[in-house]
Amino acid sequence: MYLVANIDPNICGATSCTLCTQFCPEANTIQYDKERKTAFVSVDRCKGCAQCVWVCDNMAKHHAIKMIMIDQLPEEFANKLTKNMSYEQENLKPSPINK
Amino acid sequence: MSLDYVKSTPGFEKFMPKDYRDMIDHGPFGKKVSVSQVGTFKEILEEHPMCAGCAMTLFIRLSLIALPNPEDTIIVGTAGCGRLVLSQAAVPFVYGNYGDTNAVASGLKRGLMTRFPDKHKDVVVMAGDGGLADIGFSMMMHSWFRKEKFTTIMLDNEVYGNTGGQESGMTNIGSVLKMAPLGKKFEKIDMPELAKTAGCAYVAMVVPNNPKRVEQCIKKAILIAREVGPTYIQAYTSCNIEYAIPTDKVMEDAKNVENDRYQFKEYISEDAKQYLGEKWGYKEYARKAIQTAEVAK
Repeated sequence: MYLVANIDPNICGATSCTLCTQFCPEANTIQYDKERKTAFVSVDRCKGCAQCVWVCDNMAKHHAIKMIMIDQLPEEFANKLTKNMSYEQENLKPSPINK
Repeated sequence: MSLDYVKSTPGFEKFMPKDYRDMIDHGPFGKKVSVSQVGTFKEILEEHPMCAGCAMTLFIRLSLIALPNPEDTIIVGTAGCGRLVLSQAAVPFVYGNYGDTNAVASGLKRGLMTRFPDKHKDVVVMAGDGGLADIGFSMMMHSWFRKEKFTTIMLDNEVYGNTGGQESGMTNIGSVLKMAPLGKKFEKIDMPELAKTAGCAYVAMVVPNNPKRVEQCIKKAILIAREVGPTYIQAYTSCNIEYAIPTDKVMEDAKNVENDRYQFKEYISEDAKQYLGEKWGYKEYARKAIQTAEVAK
């Protein structure tokens, strides 16, 4: 068994600062759910470095992320695997034409 | 090297892996993405074999998001930790031999300028402090003297992290490492000043604990390198293995180092300021803003 990050959606949804998504060294591991306005972890990609925990505790001061054993993840475990991940991009504008 | 190069052959989409299909449908190619939108689009970077909590990975991830036109970018790297993650990205990656990254990039950029005279193709060198400041030093300096138009990014972890902890030219004086038990006897090389003297149009020193700032630096450096001249970014990306930093304290260490010896510094030449203001609409460098600042003086 190993540790993975787990985000409390109730605390995160109240503020949704998205700092942890920017500070994770792994790509597409902490994702942002626009509907529920909370970040969530795709657990099969998490290496358990706990950098997001430091960022959430000390920079954002929300204390919403805890490291837990992977077999103790709350429900929705299957939804948090990368193969079930979906991307929502409504706000993306076309980039300036390169000439 | 164009918007089409990630697209799959018509009719074969359903046979492609999910990661690839996500990259076509939700990737950043041809779209304007920023660090604040991270987590809602598929990133160029994929899963990689770097250590957990590596600050270098964080910096590379942020800089790949910040690329102004990822579909027109080639990254040149060399031996070291950085290539492990750069080779897992959906951007063409050229593996230069140890030391010749900037020579390879010079040839590549000249070739691309001849082949695509009507378009800008960005070449970015991303290598470690050993690959650029020690072994690739002469190639790097000469590419700047020749005013080659590409960006050089140094991932400065202040040690040869991949080979067990030997001291490099960028290690701080007095640092005791696994393969340098007596401590380093000489000062850290002042690369930003050397870059300025050698004629770089843009020089910056950053620490990845401010993602927005990293993004702005990379954007400016790549845009300036398109027309004005060579650009250089030096990023502190600590090695948590060789310097024994607990993974959850990596950002705390980055903050301490930033306050101690790695303060954010930025140098932009006058030509580059004018170019950014006129061509890319940077308000702080527009002619009016500069005039009012002069009047205020």
